[in-house]
Amino acid sequence: MNAVPRRIQRVLAGISLPVYLLLYAPLSVIAIFSFAPSLGHPGPNLAAYGLLLNDPQVLAALRRSLTLAIGSAVLGTMLGTLMGFGLSRFRPAKGGGFWVGTLPSLIIYLPIIMPSLVFGISELIFFNFVHEYTGLLSAGLLTMGIAHVTFQAPYVALVVYARLAGLDPNLFEASQDLYANAVKSFLFLTIPVVRPALIGGFLLAITLSIDDFTISFFTAGPGSVTLPIYIYSAIARKGASPEINALGSLMIATVIGVALLYYFVTRHRERGNRIPAVA
Amino acid sequence: MGTAAQGEARSRAWRLWITSGPGLFWIVLFLLIPSGVMLGIAFFTNSDFGSPVLPLSLDSFSQVAGYGILGWSGANFTVLLRSLLQAGVATAVTILLAYPLVFFIVTRPAGLRPVLLLFAIVPSWTNQVVRTYAWMELLNPFAPVSRVAQVLGIIPPHLGLMPGNFAVLVGLSYNYLPYMVVPLYAAAEKLDWTLVEAGRDLYASGARLFFSTVFPQTLPGLLSGIILVGIPAFGDYVVPQLLGGDKAMMLGSLIADQFTFSPDWPYGAALTLIMLVFTCIGLIVFRRLTQRLGGGEGAML
Repeated sequence: MNAVPRRIQRVLAGISLPVYLLLYAPLSVIAIFSFAPSLGHPGPNLAAYGLLLNDPQVLAALRRSLTLAIGSAVLGTMLGTLMGFGLSRFRPAKGGGFWVGTLPSLIIYLPIIMPSLVFGISELIFFNFVHEYTGLLSAGLLTMGIAHVTFQAPYVALVVYARLAGLDPNLFEASQDLYANAVKSFLFLTIPVVRPALIGGFLLAITLSIDDFTISFFTAGPGSVTLPIYIYSAIARKGASPEINALGSLMIATVIGVALLYYFVTRHRERGNRIPAVA
Repeated sequence: MGTAAQGEARSRAWRLWITSGPGLFWIVLFLLIPSGVMLGIAFFTNSDFGSPVLPLSLDSFSQVAGYGILGWSGANFTVLLRSLLQAGVATAVTILLAYPLVFFIVTRPAGLRPVLLLFAIVPSWTNQVVRTYAWMELLNPFAPVSRVAQVLGIIPPHLGLMPGNFAVLVGLSYNYLPYMVVPLYAAAEKLDWTLVEAGRDLYASGARLFFSTVFPQTLPGLLSGIILVGIPAFGDYVVPQLLGGDKAMMLGSLIADQFTFSPDWPYGAALTLIMLVFTCIGLIVFRRLTQRLGGGEGAML
């Protein structure tokens, strides 16, 4: 990249380093404030973390968040993987008409592009009607899980699709020549090949689930307060507190951990195969 | 011959639906149908309890236009305009920050680039409530930033930089910056630098060189970035809710209110319809622009 003169490179760095600082300043503030002195605890301390770990409400919310994230991610990854696999393998390369060529893509992009508020409120109304007329699906972890799967599956499908798109189609023909049937070829060729995408997609699905607030907020019931909802209502009720800062810090640390894991798992040798996964 | 080809096509179609079918069905059942139901509700009448009842009417839309028991008010238009403006300015801010950042990353050694990109994206993986809450701590009246602004006379003493429009703008820009960085980076990484060299050989420099060689090549990335930032910023709920307050209300909060505090589902659904209309207009316009400019994502579904 010698095309960029040194002077301009210096300007770029001069703007970018403050931007990086800006990106991490708010997160660091939360972490710093979580050690802030509070009543009866002068000086920097870990009291807020102690309070947190002994708060049954927080622990229950954590348990619900994890149940929701893992449960929805398992189903979302399964549905998403099948979608990505099917669309890359069995859809005609060119055209295919509206029903086979265009419609599946439109459906898959719908949850990604729809504003999450519209998403959440649509589900709220839908689950409300279903519950009113059938008695099923009362608002709670189950309805939240259904909503989460709905936005996880498309992202997983995109990750798996991108992985398979870079693959030599002759591999599948070779497996057929070796008398592998569809199920065998799926189990012994497709699964090992997409495994990085599968693990990456699963971690992405978990991250998406933990990151989401708006959709969870509108599909939650009174008994399904998860961590983000707990934080939101705590802020609305009593504003900032060291406890919320401690909780926020732990969540940030966890997500950064998962993000790094995701990065190292999906880092393919092929460049250009990387998926821009902003969530 | 024909039947064999037909048979193969049929078996392909069968396999397509057996693999992709469940996921597609799930999205149709749990998102497409619900959003259809919601849009339908906009044409119902509001009952005393806020739930939709027959007969069908357009009352909710006249409510959206600002007609109420107390006569006409322009409040809804103000909210709509504010949402469009906030989303637009936030998008502009992310563009101004993302360009230098992306080209800073691209001009680093190849081994360092993925890490630098990752560092730019990771904050967006944390929960939006936590991210926004962090700005509440940074901009409240007692925070150092607000103190400085008070001393400089930018804001009156005892007031903070939040709640208000400024805080919402900061929150939106912060939240969606990575969404601009990623597509721009994808475009900048593939940049053909020989064009830049050619431009320099022709004695172009500075802004002229940038806008005639670099900018056109990053335009497809910029356009997808604008969609990825503008649309969610326009419909955002958490940021205006936590950082905004009454005078900085955006469409998202107005919609949510109709389903939570003072239920009026048909009115809320009509407002949602307005939000979707603007979202679709934005999508279609930018898609057209992208197609005209010949940019297309190769690995897109």
